[in-house]
Amino acid sequence: MEDDPKKKTDVPVSRRGFLKLAAGAGIAGGASSLSGCLVNEQKVGDSGWLPQQYRVPGNWPVQVRGRIPIDPANPAITRDDAKCVLCGQCQEVCEKIQTVHGHYELPVKDDFICIHCGQCSLWCPTAAITETFSIAKVDAALADPGKIVIVQTAPATRVALGEEFGMPVGSWVQGQQISALRKLGFARVFDTNFSADLTIVEEATELVARITGKGGKHPLPQLTSCCPGWVKFVEYFYPDLIPNLSTAKSPQQMMGALIKTYYAKTGNIDPEKIFSVSVMPCTGKKFEIDRPEYHAAARYWNRPHLRDMDAVLTTRELASMIKRANLNFPELPEGSYDPLLGASSGAGLIFGNSGGVMEAAVRSAYFYLTGNKAPPEAFEFKKVRGLEGVKEASLSIPGVGPLHVAVIHGLKNARVVMDKVRAGNSRYHFIEVMSCPGGCVSGGGQPRSSTPPGDEMRRMRTAAIYQRDAGQNLRESYKNPEIKQLYANFLGEPCGELAHKLLHTDYVSRADRLQPKKPQKT
Amino acid sequence: MSMAANAYTLQIRDWSFRITPLRIMLFALTLGFGLLAVYRLIVGLGATTNMNDRWAWAYWLILDYVFIALAGAGYSMALMSHVLHVQDVHRVSRRGLLISLLFYVYALVILGLEVGRWDNWYRPLFYWGYHSPLFEVYIAIIFYFGIQLIEFSEVATEKVFKPANRYVQMLLPAAFVLGAIIPFGHQGALGAIFLAMPNKLHPLWYSSMIPWFYVLTSFYAGLSLLILEMFWSNRLYASGIDMPALHKLLRVGACLMAAYFVWKIIDLYRLDALGYAFAGGFESALFLLELGGGVLLPALIGFSRWGKTGTGLVTFAALATMGLILNRANVLYTGFYRTLGPGYTPSWIEWGVSIGLFAAIILAYLFIVENFNIFKAAKH
Amino acid sequence: MTKSVLLDLTQCIGCGACTVACKLWNQLEFADGAPATGEKAVKDHSNWTTVTFRKVQKDGAPVWRFVKEQCLHCLEPACVSVCFAKALQISKEGAVVYRPDLCVGCRYCMLGCPFSVPKYEWQRSLPNVSKCQMCAGKIAQGEVPACVGACPTGAMTFGERDDNLALARQRIEQGNGRYINHIYGEKEAGGTRWLYLSDVDFSKLGMVTNVPEVPIASFTDDYLRWTVPLLAGGALLFTALRHYTKRRNDIESSQASQKESKKK
Repeated sequence: MEDDPKKKTDVPVSRRGFLKLAAGAGIAGGASSLSGCLVNEQKVGDSGWLPQQYRVPGNWPVQVRGRIPIDPANPAITRDDAKCVLCGQCQEVCEKIQTVHGHYELPVKDDFICIHCGQCSLWCPTAAITETFSIAKVDAALADPGKIVIVQTAPATRVALGEEFGMPVGSWVQGQQISALRKLGFARVFDTNFSADLTIVEEATELVARITGKGGKHPLPQLTSCCPGWVKFVEYFYPDLIPNLSTAKSPQQMMGALIKTYYAKTGNIDPEKIFSVSVMPCTGKKFEIDRPEYHAAARYWNRPHLRDMDAVLTTRELASMIKRANLNFPELPEGSYDPLLGASSGAGLIFGNSGGVMEAAVRSAYFYLTGNKAPPEAFEFKKVRGLEGVKEASLSIPGVGPLHVAVIHGLKNARVVMDKVRAGNSRYHFIEVMSCPGGCVSGGGQPRSSTPPGDEMRRMRTAAIYQRDAGQNLRESYKNPEIKQLYANFLGEPCGELAHKLLHTDYVSRADRLQPKKPQKT
Repeated sequence: MSMAANAYTLQIRDWSFRITPLRIMLFALTLGFGLLAVYRLIVGLGATTNMNDRWAWAYWLILDYVFIALAGAGYSMALMSHVLHVQDVHRVSRRGLLISLLFYVYALVILGLEVGRWDNWYRPLFYWGYHSPLFEVYIAIIFYFGIQLIEFSEVATEKVFKPANRYVQMLLPAAFVLGAIIPFGHQGALGAIFLAMPNKLHPLWYSSMIPWFYVLTSFYAGLSLLILEMFWSNRLYASGIDMPALHKLLRVGACLMAAYFVWKIIDLYRLDALGYAFAGGFESALFLLELGGGVLLPALIGFSRWGKTGTGLVTFAALATMGLILNRANVLYTGFYRTLGPGYTPSWIEWGVSIGLFAAIILAYLFIVENFNIFKAAKH
Repeated sequence: MTKSVLLDLTQCIGCGACTVACKLWNQLEFADGAPATGEKAVKDHSNWTTVTFRKVQKDGAPVWRFVKEQCLHCLEPACVSVCFAKALQISKEGAVVYRPDLCVGCRYCMLGCPFSVPKYEWQRSLPNVSKCQMCAGKIAQGEVPACVGACPTGAMTFGERDDNLALARQRIEQGNGRYINHIYGEKEAGGTRWLYLSDVDFSKLGMVTNVPEVPIASFTDDYLRWTVPLLAGGALLFTALRHYTKRRNDIESSQASQKESKKK
């Protein structure tokens, strides 16, 4: 390279000078930062040196309101802490709608107070709260060649399952559901509507007995008992009203008991080989199958370890199993239920709606009391339909007088009526209570919709069920041919000895598990 | 005095190092240490050690305690030979200084691997956590390590950088005095560290006296190790056994051990903890083994006539050294077992690092004694 | 002024909202094997606060209690006194906070803490100590700590320590035997900024109860205050001894050589 002295003088900073400067600055800076002199200009407690998380909000949500406690051993619901954002929606529904959380005195005794309704899992915006999954248990049974896996589907799942596959809210997918279950490997598909009819027959018979003064120690008003959340709510907060609960089991448990007795006997199947699954719109049903009272088959066969039901899948769980199996659900052919425990009336179907049990029961009770078919108003019982919290109706029954009924959904509403019943100020003969707002159609195990779940969704699912009921010829439970067959061949008569043994149950007071909060005067 | 028939000597100018199969093995272990140490620094403590949130101090920290205590020869020699000018002892003082230096190197390297933020090692020089006994340990060891280097440079400059020897000699008097006093500070503070754990350390070991016990035990442990070193180097190099010097060490060591024994018993009585010694259980057993087999027995040997024989001296020194190791391990492991519970055994990497580094220390010792004047008496 | 939290264990329902709030604010990870709530709650580097579910007996009947634990923020913290690098300091509001840039990683704080609060990031190659910082940044701005704000039952009261102590005493007095007469943290380790009320003995709840009532620092300070004078004095003494013994030996040896020369 040529040496150009002119250029050198043009350079304002010589290379040596620059290097000296840079090295000097580097050494000084390095030394001061090594010694910590640069990082500790501010005193302790100021923000300067604090780790980053103390200067920025990080993952901090906009609003932090806490959450409900969930027992790690809760059979129905579970929670993934990593998804929780403490939005307080679960508290909102549990405390304000269901009046469970915050309605008992602290300190707690020896229980996480929970009625397993699963509404929190619907309200949770991040799906941190979910049902306790049973898919693995069902998978294992399906894979076991020694097991005959029998499934029953609840009334309300057939108007909601389609939503999981992009179908409009309220789509009727009964047939697709049956086909999907068959494709998933279930050996028999039975209809819980059948056992809902059976429940009506038993419960209406029981109601008639109470009205006609043959109820024994079971007083009026009769309270429905098919909602496990409601039953546990009574056991916690209204133990004195336990005698009012209908002793009839829920449709799921009746079906469970019959599958392992009647069906096993008829089909000559070893009840030990039967693995009985139900698809329910409900998380509480997962709790219900574990209740120690439910071992009718065990008593019937004298095999103590038999359980009436083995597993419960929620609608959401079934949807995930169908998705996992890559079934094109909306395009599946429409299947039909297996016989013997598969036929049902419109009365069984409307169990899925708030007011449905009442309407179905009235249709049968009227018949039992008068021997005549119920009047047309009992086939579109408008006063008990709809989403009002407490619905009242009266029906005059010839020879008996007026029958006063109430229909309640949401347990906050139940408290209002139950406090009256407790005080002796109620004129009702029969009260239907469903924990979940809207009844089973928007149960805790149903597909998630908007948050919080809205009445629009409830109306559409409800309407789909009433529409099907209206279109059916068979609309009274007592007319169900397979029910008649069941009584003729196996059970004898409604509320008879065997019926009592298999289809009725009793309840336990849980009053010692909590100290209810005294109602606050507003 | 050839160690093995197939040994040969590596010779570069006036540096020589004998190569034997055993030494090749030591080199291999040292290499293994290097690899494990690098691995530990890259992947962290969790993947390499079995330490956990309960056993946050474990095997490596026991090693630090043991090696710093056994390095007590450094300050006991400085004190006896250069401060008190005890006769005969000055002839073995260079050995003491060398063992001490090497053991400190060992402890410091292990410590560097044991702490999590070794990259911040110098921070306390600027941020004085002077309420912590560990700060005293930190400052004192940094100082003392420098002093040890000065002390050793007297030996080194006899061979390399010879002109510097004159200046080193000027520094030596101060180095010896400081080298005799500073270790009192950190040996004691090492014990004082446990003062902060009154509800965790077992009452057999927890005492407000523990700093003094640590000073005392490290002092005699250093002497014991020096006795062992002399017999060992005599086997290797036939460097001779300086019996008059060893008898001095034996007498001082035995007196200190007896004093420690009595003091410990009185202290346990004072704290009403004597009952724990006979309460059964493995804490009692290990405590009795430590105090009986590692203190009382060697002290008795030291006072006996047999103790003055070669075998007696070696037995005395070996028991005392084992007693010290047991003591430090008892405080850090047995004493905390009740609080921290089961769940810790050293991982193979923890073992490997400790063994490999010890091999390196042995090689360093061999090289130094073969190339520098260690066995010759220091001139005074 | 020193901020404090009064935690009334009888009001805890075990929801664990505080543990989630802690992780959200401090950006701590959720690990599968290390739950922050439940019977097997684990305190570790990402669980700064835990709610342990304890089944205990009270008046002969089984009761379930939920014990929220986190750093107690001692008035005179052992961790602050044992840290030789000043990596643990007390903020203006009274939070005991950690400065990772100064930490050497000796883990003395983990052993020195009488409650064994500090945990370690074992899986990192340059690990830090981790513990509850009482949301120092939040309380410096006049907010409450994340956990306190997230509690749905208001089991925690944030305020001045004196006020909280008075409140605790008032609750005990007005509770008609509802609480045991022990405010955990009033005296433990010389007093802590987190105070606990309970209706069940604290030892049954798995809390550390064998803590001395004086600050841990007093144990080490009793020793450390002597060391500098002792070492300085020792250095002087040794210097003197060095000259004295040398001279004595010189005299002895010269006398000995004189004797020998006389004999000759």
